[in-house]
Amino acid sequence: MIEDLPEEVAGGWGPLSSLPGNPLMWVLIVSELLVFGAFLWGFAAARLLHPETFAAGRAVLDQGLGGLNTIILVSSGWCAAQAVQAERNGAAAAAIRRWLGGSAALGLAFLIVKGIEWSHEAALGHGLTSDVFFTLFFLMTGFHAAHVALGIVILAIVAARPSPENLETGTAFWHMVDLIWLLLFPIVYLTG
Amino acid sequence: MRDSARLHVTWGLIVGATVISVAFGVEAAGPIATVAALALSWVKARLVLDHFLDLRLVAGGWRDGLLGGIALMLAVVLGLGLIGPLVG
Repeated sequence: MIEDLPEEVAGGWGPLSSLPGNPLMWVLIVSELLVFGAFLWGFAAARLLHPETFAAGRAVLDQGLGGLNTIILVSSGWCAAQAVQAERNGAAAAAIRRWLGGSAALGLAFLIVKGIEWSHEAALGHGLTSDVFFTLFFLMTGFHAAHVALGIVILAIVAARPSPENLETGTAFWHMVDLIWLLLFPIVYLTG
Repeated sequence: MRDSARLHVTWGLIVGATVISVAFGVEAAGPIATVAALALSWVKARLVLDHFLDLRLVAGGWRDGLLGGIALMLAVVLGLGLIGPLVG
């Protein structure tokens, strides 16, 4: 009988059931954290092997724009958290959509600032094949930016159908993108 | 604390920590700046997990596991950063 089976086999998610949103999103979140963690370890190991190249690369990065983008993305995460809070407080769908719209707009602002930063680096002659620092810089920030773009699409889908589960699942992805930037930014821009 | 106020405070703390880490990273490059930036990074990650993702309410060790994993990742990055000058 199905009630005699373990919860996982019977259709539950076991330990994943206690997490907010769809458990499969958390499988993705943990996977993404592992991938970016490996990226950051690779970056740190490459810096150990090429200290002069990394010092020169870091010196031409714009920490101000990186910091501005951190504040933009954290503010976007704050809007997403407010959307979940609004739904829990019984707010109208229009109010929830306004918070999600603000979150997505700030995500778009992040991508615009990132584009300005990349074009500045390109104008200085730095590209994907310049050296190991800029190869990793463009790969890591580009991979992260792709996640931001996907997150904006997810927020738009959630805004179209703002059910409690959709909200928790979509905003969980967005907070994961936020969290990864909070780890990536100091390692790439501020240390070394 | 009301949930809305808690989110405001969380946002303010992360922005404040970001401003401090940028100012410190620009002005004081070196081991101390590295330790400070990575420690603040962990604090910001904890704030996001606890208050934006609400993991403070989740049972089963998820919060501690994720925070421990992030601490391990940052510790390895810090270790590689600190031994660089010694082996170079």
